[in-house]
Amino acid sequence: MALNNLGGCHGSTGPRSINSATGKAWGADFPMIRVRDWVSSQARLADALGIETWAAVVGGSLGGMQVMRWALQYPQRIRHAIVIASALKLSAQNIAFNEAARKAITSDPHFHDGHYLDHDSLPKNGLAIARMIGHITYLSDYAMGEKFGRDLRSGNFDLGNAEPVEFQIESYLRYQGDSFANTFDANSYLRITKALDYFDLAREYEDDPVIAFKQAHAKFLVISFSTDWRFAPERSHEIVNALVGANKAVTYAEIESKFGHDAFLLPDERYQQVFARYMAGVSV
Amino acid sequence: MRIDLNEIQHWIPQHSRILDLGCGDGTLLKYLIDSKQAQGYGLEIDPGQINICIDKGLNVIEQNLDQGLGNFADKSFDTVLMTQALQTLHFPHLVLDEMLRVGKECIVTFPNFGHWKARFHLFTHGRMPVSDLLPYEWYDTPNIHFCTFKDFEVLCHERQIKVIHRQVVNESSQSLFKDIMPNLFGETAIYHLSKS
Repeated sequence: MALNNLGGCHGSTGPRSINSATGKAWGADFPMIRVRDWVSSQARLADALGIETWAAVVGGSLGGMQVMRWALQYPQRIRHAIVIASALKLSAQNIAFNEAARKAITSDPHFHDGHYLDHDSLPKNGLAIARMIGHITYLSDYAMGEKFGRDLRSGNFDLGNAEPVEFQIESYLRYQGDSFANTFDANSYLRITKALDYFDLAREYEDDPVIAFKQAHAKFLVISFSTDWRFAPERSHEIVNALVGANKAVTYAEIESKFGHDAFLLPDERYQQVFARYMAGVSV
Repeated sequence: MRIDLNEIQHWIPQHSRILDLGCGDGTLLKYLIDSKQAQGYGLEIDPGQINICIDKGLNVIEQNLDQGLGNFADKSFDTVLMTQALQTLHFPHLVLDEMLRVGKECIVTFPNFGHWKARFHLFTHGRMPVSDLLPYEWYDTPNIHFCTFKDFEVLCHERQIKVIHRQVVNESSQSLFKDIMPNLFGETAIYHLSKS
């Protein structure tokens, strides 16, 4: 089962949903959310569907954070926890990129303090820049070089040529930004990045992830990717070490990949083998 | 099961918490879990071996032993094992220190480079020994730090490592000589160690 995050804009209730109290979209009034709220909403869905226990909860990146939260919040309801390209908490660098992205949105003149729907406008430029910043952090230097290099989309470097030079990577990022800006909600983006920033699995466990994981009953599979610099393998090592410290069952694989954080969404023979073989041992 | 693995089980008490360095396909780890109700983890870097461990439902962690065991707490395991991997490490002596820090006891097995066949090969051919036991050429061998039983004993002495048990086993033949002259006739050494 896969579902859209609470506060998102592609299914579950979010800032674009109608607030029954006002009859208008929530917009900027939509509450801030935490990773635990996503997990709670998923648990309530499971209740409604009569699902007592999940055979496995699987997630990558911020999905991995939800998996770990599941294992602590509902230890009896999850038998296997599969945490892919994730972290116990964001690093200062992660937060910095998120803040740059948020600033791009909030400084867009069409943002109107988040009440852009009331003004019949959309902060598309800000959202596009936010996406461009985010997208850069998902890719590796190698992946960008391999895909785009210094290839030109238009213009050239000849003297006297009036046509402006445009690199392929510029065009690609602009396209990514623009298409995202047309389909994503700015208030959702702000809330989701804040939820990521605030997440710290061990905060209420004396800042000790070993104590945190002592709550868990699930068996863990942790996977990272060698060139992922947004959620680097070191972040997964922290998860694995804490699980070992808490004496929990854990398997860890570090997949050799050239594609940065994006690798967790791309086909890769070893990644798929590790995942498939582990899942083959999950009884349903 | 490999003969050295078979001997090791005698030194592992029931319900031990174990760490198996270079656990390979997990044969020993699985055996100790099933027969000794042991619990623990295997460390391995080979993707193919890791896959087999996953098939067996073992806790296998991808980790390069040459980068140390800094992620494991002092005395956090009853026994730290390392079978037939000592000679593949860049810094065997440092890994040995780490094993004795992390484990209350350690078990190490390694091939004896002082075995008469190796000596004979080097003596008669003047070339690095290639045999059934050590089937690699010098340039492609994963075994980069060979030692003899005597060499290992010297290392233990230098680093104040206590030898609780030592055992010599032969895969190919049950040579009676191995007990009298282990460094010449023994193929595989099994050492049970602790920090004195």
